[in-house]
Amino acid sequence: MKNTQIGDVTQTESKGVTRRHLMMSAVAMGLSLPVLSKSSVSAAPRTALLRQDAEKPASLNMLYATVEADVEAIKLAIPDFKAETGIDIVLDSQPYDALQQKVFAELAVDSPYYDVIIVDTPWTPALTGKLEPLSGYVTNEALNDVSDPALDDFIEKVFFDTAVYNPTASHLQFPDPTGIDVEAITGEGFEIYGLPLQANALVAMYRTDLFENADDMAAFESEHGRALAFPETWDEFTDVAKFFTRPDQNLYGTTLMPGNGDWATDDFKTLLAAWGGNGYMVSDDFTLAFNSPEGVDALTYYASLINEHKVTPPGVTSFSWDDASAAFTSGLTAIGMNYHTEVLAPDVQGNITYALVPEKETRGPHFGTWMLSVNKASQNKEWAYRAANWFTSGPTQTKMLAAQLHPSRKSVYEAAKTDENATKFGNFYDILGQSLALGVGRPRLTNYGAVDKEIWVAVNSAATGSMTPEEALQSAADKVKGLLQEAGYPVS
Amino acid sequence: MKPTREQSNGLGWALVTPAVGVLLLMTIFPALYLLWASFRRFNLMTPDNAPFIGLENYRNIATNGDIRYSMLVTILFVVAAVGIELALGLLLALMLAPKSRSNAAAATLLILPMAVTPVVSALVWRELFNPNYGWVNYYLRQIGIMHEPIAWLSNPQTSWFTVISLDVWQWTPFVALILMAGLQGIPPEPREAAAVDGAEGWRLFWDVTFPLLRPFVAIAVLLRTLEAFKTFGTIRVLTGGGPGISTEIINLTIYRTALQDFSVGAAASLGIAFLVFLSILVPQMLRILARNSDLVEA
Repeated sequence: MKNTQIGDVTQTESKGVTRRHLMMSAVAMGLSLPVLSKSSVSAAPRTALLRQDAEKPASLNMLYATVEADVEAIKLAIPDFKAETGIDIVLDSQPYDALQQKVFAELAVDSPYYDVIIVDTPWTPALTGKLEPLSGYVTNEALNDVSDPALDDFIEKVFFDTAVYNPTASHLQFPDPTGIDVEAITGEGFEIYGLPLQANALVAMYRTDLFENADDMAAFESEHGRALAFPETWDEFTDVAKFFTRPDQNLYGTTLMPGNGDWATDDFKTLLAAWGGNGYMVSDDFTLAFNSPEGVDALTYYASLINEHKVTPPGVTSFSWDDASAAFTSGLTAIGMNYHTEVLAPDVQGNITYALVPEKETRGPHFGTWMLSVNKASQNKEWAYRAANWFTSGPTQTKMLAAQLHPSRKSVYEAAKTDENATKFGNFYDILGQSLALGVGRPRLTNYGAVDKEIWVAVNSAATGSMTPEEALQSAADKVKGLLQEAGYPVS
Repeated sequence: MKPTREQSNGLGWALVTPAVGVLLLMTIFPALYLLWASFRRFNLMTPDNAPFIGLENYRNIATNGDIRYSMLVTILFVVAAVGIELALGLLLALMLAPKSRSNAAAATLLILPMAVTPVVSALVWRELFNPNYGWVNYYLRQIGIMHEPIAWLSNPQTSWFTVISLDVWQWTPFVALILMAGLQGIPPEPREAAAVDGAEGWRLFWDVTFPLLRPFVAIAVLLRTLEAFKTFGTIRVLTGGGPGISTEIINLTIYRTALQDFSVGAAASLGIAFLVFLSILVPQMLRILARNSDLVEA
């Protein structure tokens, strides 16, 4: 500090910290932090050659889901992986929304923390640049010493829909998803970004005890001139659902899932595919397919089940997966549709049989599968691949049937025919396997979440009767077009 | 030797520097970063490709019908919920303000709804209002008020009723407790003097009690309004913004944009626009509420 005497006044020149200095420094620091933070981010992804003799780590960090991808199945297999390889799996499981945020946040900053990451299909188009391409791994014998990838054992549709993407045009579907051939895949300019694990498809289920009730069978046959059976077609479905709709007995025909959420979009696209429309809803050339005449007809039928035929329980227009499950398992409906096994409530005396969802022109139940992927920024990519390969292998998936895993391999569906962990759910695995072979996935859009929302709003609006199906789908189409343009897609 | 004033100032500033650093990191920097992001087309997954687009994000807010609708329903929700909470809270406060053991016990119980996590309360509310199993429909049918089950979450009007009723159940006690404190702090002399002059009942309350209570009303309304504008978990769990977009408040839109679409730029612009709106609203509220009331005394 320097003091200057001017007359009677002592002026002090402070060369220490002043309030003004502090605030200016703070602003400068705040504005410079974006620049500084970028340079302090974790190491950029490596593009080194595969290291066949990479040092085995003591542990691998795995980021996983919870019930959505059956984390109990993974937990069941972790001790075996340790026994096989000596590597600990440090498992971090998160519920869906938190998982998505964590996956994106970790991969956005190229964090090497997680070696193996579970990825859901709607996320993959935005993540292809952050996941390690595996075509070089699955064909490298030295890296397949722990287990055989046996790619041809995966259900083809599931494999291509889940794991095969074009790195420079992630919106494209693989042109010929028949026969899994790595050379053919890479020859078309595509890559493999993971190995499928938990495969979900929409399946129907019905109360066998109600369908086999002698009085009901006689009454139905008398009314409709055919035997009472689970309907093969959507036209038959209406008759059967109406037959079992008895509000005075607190019984309704079927559940549906038109509540606000992805489940409503999935219900709609199942019917869209059945009506002969493009179940992907948006084509590879960004043509909108959901507001087609088939889409309008499908949604009209869907809404009619609720508003005209009234075969659904009260409040169905707010139903999610969980609400639909609760309605069926509590005995409120004779038919249900969902993505997993069901167990009737203790006070409901009945039996469940599973069936394919009905068809119209064809069948195209919605399906979506998780995959285990290798983080491109992982410091242990070779061993992370070995882990993903091992956890998705046939023997491991067979063991995971004990935790009701939904397998992605044909051999496991064969094993499920005699595995008591599977047979205790009746014909569920048989129907799931068949459904996966027919299934239709989602469009590959980096902003699928936003597109999904507009479509479910349309489905819900039609279901509640606040808009006609045509108005609802057209309104959604206008918004989706804008969303695709915002995402940088060349929409005509 | 006693430190000079300048030395004390320097030492003081040095001692607060860590706190200022934390403040910068946790508040100032994120705010500045959001402002920066709001002028860009910025997606979390492509941070290196965030071109400057000027006011395009803000223009989109002004022209997007769904966003304008979200803002409107947010305001209507706040007005309705806070209005009802104020009326019921005042009623409760008047009933529980007189000091007695039973009133003290009741006041303690009032705290319970506020102690429940909003998400948990929304989950419970959802079950209570379930048209097939919920207690609400069951008892309404038992007492003969309705004969057909009401699908509370399938209709915009009943959905809003469900949302607002939950907010009222949970936060009316908050308003009541503030007003109770105010009532208990009012000196008895003005009321006694007015009573001597013949004032009673409603006249006594409106002309004597309420003006003295006004600062506490202002505090309660201001705090509840700010909190109500931050509502998120309740509506996310109860309705998910539906049916359709009828209960899609702006916070849901910001959440989806930021944490599901990862459009950081668009979400930042929504957040800042909302902040600007609140920055204009709150001083106006303070001016109106503080009229003829002394918030400092309160």
